[in-house]
Amino acid sequence: MDVSWFKVFRLASRDYFHEALMSACFVLALAAVLGPMMVLFGLKFGIVGAMVDELIENPRNREVRPVGRGYYDQAWLDQVRARDDVAFLVPRTRSIAATIELNSEFSARIVSVELTATGQGDPLLQPDSPLPEDTTSVVLSQSAAEKLGVAAGDTVDGSLARRFRGKQERVHLPLRVAAIAPARAFSRDGAFVSLALLEALEDFRDGRAVPALGWEGEPADTHRTYPGFRLYAQTIYDVAALRDAFTELNVNVRTRSAEIELVQRMNRNLTAIYWSIAIVGLVGFSLSFGASLWANVDRKRKDLSVLRLVGFRTADIVWFPMVQALFTAILGWALAVAIFQTTSLFINEMLGPQLESGQKVCRLLPWHYAIALLLTCIAAVLAAGFAGFRSARVEPSDSLRDL
Amino acid sequence: MSSEISAPSEAEGPLIYHLRDVVKTREAEGVAFRLRIPSLQIAMGEKIALIGKSGCGKSTLLDMLAFILQPSEAGAFSFQPEREQESHDIHACWKNGRLNQLGDLRKRYIGYVMQTGGLLPYLTVRENMNLCRSVLGLRPDGMVEHLAEELGITAHLDKLPDKLSTGERQRVAIGRAVAHRPSIVIADEPTASIDPYAAEKVMSMLIGLAEEFEITVILASHAWEHMEQLGLRRLTHRTIRDHNRMFTETVVTG
Repeated sequence: MDVSWFKVFRLASRDYFHEALMSACFVLALAAVLGPMMVLFGLKFGIVGAMVDELIENPRNREVRPVGRGYYDQAWLDQVRARDDVAFLVPRTRSIAATIELNSEFSARIVSVELTATGQGDPLLQPDSPLPEDTTSVVLSQSAAEKLGVAAGDTVDGSLARRFRGKQERVHLPLRVAAIAPARAFSRDGAFVSLALLEALEDFRDGRAVPALGWEGEPADTHRTYPGFRLYAQTIYDVAALRDAFTELNVNVRTRSAEIELVQRMNRNLTAIYWSIAIVGLVGFSLSFGASLWANVDRKRKDLSVLRLVGFRTADIVWFPMVQALFTAILGWALAVAIFQTTSLFINEMLGPQLESGQKVCRLLPWHYAIALLLTCIAAVLAAGFAGFRSARVEPSDSLRDL
Repeated sequence: MSSEISAPSEAEGPLIYHLRDVVKTREAEGVAFRLRIPSLQIAMGEKIALIGKSGCGKSTLLDMLAFILQPSEAGAFSFQPEREQESHDIHACWKNGRLNQLGDLRKRYIGYVMQTGGLLPYLTVRENMNLCRSVLGLRPDGMVEHLAEELGITAHLDKLPDKLSTGERQRVAIGRAVAHRPSIVIADEPTASIDPYAAEKVMSMLIGLAEEFEITVILASHAWEHMEQLGLRRLTHRTIRDHNRMFTETVVTG
């Protein structure tokens, strides 16, 4: 003849809500400690998260740039491209030859743009944006597109001139605008083009023939070398290793590894600071929560004795404070979540304008809420169970006569 | 009828309690206290009064009889709540830590009335009276309402205990102790906190209900007169105080 768990649950909840004021105090006391801790963690997570996101998302942080002029041939570049830690590599041509003058029917201006070679998987371009094909299309930088008054799908006229055998020559070629690059990809007037087009323009300027475009000149060079390349590491964490590998090959490179290290160090330091505060907070929280639950069980000793007197078993009695502690834990957690939501809304609203869109200074993921709830419930069950067990062990006659 | 020391006659039925050489020693504030019961036999259906000043060990004895206080020593301590059943060895339960078995016996066969209170403040009078029944899983059969009528608290059934006077609360406590038809009701000075006139009335109600439902009663009180009128058997006890040795011993027989 066991007393069903449901009866204990019913009695415990009746008691809990009968003493609504007292229960509200316990809930408030819990939320007052848990709420600020959630805000603290939200800030740490939000700030460091934003910094790391910025590091990872901005491809410039993954770039490895050779310094000075080099002579890199296709075979060497292919070898580098084959490395696992290299995400994207495209050769550069001589920068003095990598310009073209553009003109469109929508604007009277002639815009001279810098050309950058691109290709499949270029992190500067949107992953789903169309790539410039061969010698017929380009991806314009935002500033160039604005000056030319064109949008994706329009056609612009490209022209360039050379001095050849004593004569000034100018050639034109129609270029379709395949897409407009995002603003952060290239801030000046520029265009992303295929390597083939860049090579053709360089050849033309050097006085060589470009049969594909019908441009005349000296026969083309058979062994082409490039003065530089544009390389992106797979992740920011590969940058340092790549830099070392290039140094070993006697290629001087410039990277952002110093900045990356700075953020990583900051992350470590902030995490350490956070944890020292969090551990102090957690200890304080456990003590205050445990103490209030303990005091509550002690206060209810007589009622619990009455329950034993009418035949509730020790195991049933222990459930009584545990059910009530769980109520406090869940309600207190809910209130703490409300405190966190309000505070983080306020913080994000206040600092929002200084951030890139979509970034938040103070935020938590759903599983953070779940962890907070779980920890609170475990603390509640432990403290209340321990206190309940202790009071259930006392001979009921002792506590019955107290009052 | 008022034979104080002789064992109850056969006609009164089997013994619900049988105690031999039971001792409880306690020490509080440097004063040693000992309750000694060389022999105690209580027959089913008997109504027993334990009369004496406070501090003489009445509550200690009642708590041992209600299985909420463990005797320090016991030659024999058996409990037979029903005629057809074997008797239970209470001392063995204590010694072997079978507290749940004691709890089950208490739940089924014992009603307990405390000196004050003992009502759960968050339950209505009806729910408080129904508590023992509910714990036993008994279906409502009008018993609670019947008791409320006998005890004159029908109007208060749906109120919380803090809306009631002390006397009314004691009546609720008596109702709760009887509602599940226990074999025995143990009452520790159930009227000590109410005025003498109301006290007599409440006491009469308790005895009346016990007779109606054939329940054995053991109660502690400090006034004998009214108990005698109600036909209770008085347990004898004598208390020896040794002030020099800070020692008190009470010996109860019956």
